Amino acid sequence: MHYMTNEALTTSLQRVFGYRKFRPGQQAALEALEAGQDSLAILPTGAGKTLIYQLYGYRHAGCTVIVSPLLSLMADQVDRMRLTGFRCSAALTSQTSYADRQTILTQLDQLQFLFLSPEMLAQPKMLAQIKQLTISLLVVDEAHCIVQWGPDFRPEYLLLGAIKEKLGNPLTLMLTATAGKATRQEIAKQLRSRPTVVTESVNRANIFLDVDRVNDEGEKKARLQTLVGQLRGPGVVYFSSKQLATDTAEWLQATAGVKAAAYHAGLSGEDRFKIQQQFMSGEIDLICATSAFGMGIDKNDIRYVIHYHLPGDLESYAQEIGRAGRDGQPSVAILLYAPGDEQLPLALGQANRPDEDEIARYYAQPTKFDDTEPTVHLLAFYRQHGISQAAVQELFVKRERERNRALAGMVAYAREDHCLRQRWLAAFDEQAPEHSEGCCSPQNQPLAIDRLGLERQTPTQENGGPVDWQTQLARLF
Amino acid sequence: MGPTDLLQLLDRVQPRRVRAIENLLRGRRTVSTLYWGQRYQLLPLLNLAKQLDRGALDAAAQQVVHQGLATWDINQERLVLTPAGLSKQRADHYFVPQTADCWPTIDLIAVRQRILLAVQVASQFSHQAGHYLPLTTDMATRQFVRHWFHQVKNDQLGPQVLTALMTSLDKLDPVVATVMTAQFTGYQQAGQTLGQLALAYQRTEWEIQLMQFEGLAQIMGDAKEPTNPFNSLLQPLWQTPVSRSAQITLNTVKQGQTLAQIAGERRVKVSTVREHLLEAAIMLPLADFPYDRLLSPAARSQFKAVVSGPVDDWQYTGLPEALQRQYEFFYFRLYAIWVGKRGALHD
Repeated sequence: MHYMTNEALTTSLQRVFGYRKFRPGQQAALEALEAGQDSLAILPTGAGKTLIYQLYGYRHAGCTVIVSPLLSLMADQVDRMRLTGFRCSAALTSQTSYADRQTILTQLDQLQFLFLSPEMLAQPKMLAQIKQLTISLLVVDEAHCIVQWGPDFRPEYLLLGAIKEKLGNPLTLMLTATAGKATRQEIAKQLRSRPTVVTESVNRANIFLDVDRVNDEGEKKARLQTLVGQLRGPGVVYFSSKQLATDTAEWLQATAGVKAAAYHAGLSGEDRFKIQQQFMSGEIDLICATSAFGMGIDKNDIRYVIHYHLPGDLESYAQEIGRAGRDGQPSVAILLYAPGDEQLPLALGQANRPDEDEIARYYAQPTKFDDTEPTVHLLAFYRQHGISQAAVQELFVKRERERNRALAGMVAYAREDHCLRQRWLAAFDEQAPEHSEGCCSPQNQPLAIDRLGLERQTPTQENGGPVDWQTQLARLF
Repeated sequence: MGPTDLLQLLDRVQPRRVRAIENLLRGRRTVSTLYWGQRYQLLPLLNLAKQLDRGALDAAAQQVVHQGLATWDINQERLVLTPAGLSKQRADHYFVPQTADCWPTIDLIAVRQRILLAVQVASQFSHQAGHYLPLTTDMATRQFVRHWFHQVKNDQLGPQVLTALMTSLDKLDPVVATVMTAQFTGYQQAGQTLGQLALAYQRTEWEIQLMQFEGLAQIMGDAKEPTNPFNSLLQPLWQTPVSRSAQITLNTVKQGQTLAQIAGERRVKVSTVREHLLEAAIMLPLADFPYDRLLSPAARSQFKAVVSGPVDDWQYTGLPEALQRQYEFFYFRLYAIWVGKRGALHD
């Protein structure tokens, strides 16, 4: 294998990917890394964050270790790495079968890219094995998860700083699509790093922003049906629950004249694959998804993203609407909002959070609790890491405050009367361009789909219709 | 799995344990699960729904009872169909596989993985498409299919695979052939998911899966032919219905060793040896198991004298105490298997 450390970055880019120019942010992040500087790259969805570590990994000997949050999607990521030509890639998660895990572990030293969940990396045995590797780069993908999930959902995220030290402080790349100043600081602090921050504007001028205010659930459902019938696809509708995503996909398919499918982390690998491919090829025009949908889906012509439920914060919202209009063409992001919608994210946030009483009872008699229960598991984690009862209590109080503040930002967006973009970008410490007609329509203004040029066209008649199985089979070969 | 599916697994006369059916589907290979699977004639379903959670059939069970299609026994463990349940079971025109008898001799889940990926690879190859995402699957399948592909790769691979599939699917119910074809991923075809197929053909997802198992078993059977392009891909997936260690135990018994000798030699408990033998007795035809060696004529007539009624209702603890002292549970269960299988012969 040749390593191209001395080659110009653009030459490597051309050689590996066939592109002549970097996209905004990629080069700056790579230059920082080449200079031995940790880098925190905040680049919008679709900006090509993966390319940064692929190219770095290509140019340097050793293994690039990528810590990634979404277990079920890591295998897909590895498939895409292989497709790009990086064959020595593998993923280790709790979902990796025993047999596959053994195979990967015996070939560990030959790997160029290794994807791990934070939970897997936190296991002492695994960490010891990873320590034996020459790590050229440690990548923390979706780094905002440290802040979003760390304290009360997946606490192993909070160990990443210590793990990084145990691995001998390898060069580190932190990646995220959205992070305001506070989030950036928290990521750097948790990872015990002083990174060069590379950031591009979160703003996406070609995405028209809209909030549709409805009075209740029934009205919301009807509004969704109307929108989906009027808007030009392909589109994505986000839900907070798998069940609702599944049911709504069936309902819309039956009633709105669209081809819809559900997509969430509960699907089998095979179903996920097939639905992605159907969406990519245009067989499906609408995906009803949970937040699992998106990472690594390279579909450029998504014309609309609708949120059926209120996201918990503007950062998640920005991530998800960022999947629209990657081709730069006009697109729209619609938030359906009914008064009281904030109750759901509030409840979801609290579901996993022990109150003061529970914490006290647990610390008094830790062995009496079943630690397969998420809340107990969380407390056991802190106790095992020597965190005192008082500190844990404070941590959860602080966490609740942060969550509530983030949610308040989201609610303010939903209730905004003047300019949605201004409200949105302010959360990322950015200044919005002057408000204009083509910018947004807040809750008090109707959405004019025709003016955006996003009306649905009459579906073209498919030639033929259903074919018999013999013909279909023959087409395959 | 929903109420419609569960309804097909129940009987008007024989009360059936929902937990045993669930364990069978999940591939819990205990003697008890296998025994009841055999008694219910549901052994072909062993291991075919590994992903089911514990209690996954409970909701369906509640629903069939709620709809008046089945009733619980006194302990709420076993279900039996009501007359309405029986009529519904017949009226549903549920898919009945024709190849089920051979399912326990095939690792159907692995066959499915290999066939789907092999079809994708051959399809893309015959359209000279080298750049595509392979189906998500485990590493072992991927390696095996890659190896197979390099072995069979030639200009005619596409037509060969097409002919083989046409021949196999043509022997099946056209709906099964259609479902099999529609699930395939390949050149310019993403493939339909179970849910999409269920919706399109107005069947349950489990029914679609049964159709797929039917199609796979057909392809598997035809691939025995050495000229079939899937021959080397699928031959290793034939299996004995008896686990390997039970098979070894069985062979040693056939050679004349006592159970204690086998236990000593294989360094396992006598109870484990007995479990192996019960598993073999359950899974194999009458003639393939040495009943004569293990169950003396005296034991048979002693049991026969005291048991009565349907085999499923026999209880070891209901035997006279002297007989319980003389014969352990193993012999009693073996006798029940023997009687049950002989009964099945006479049906």
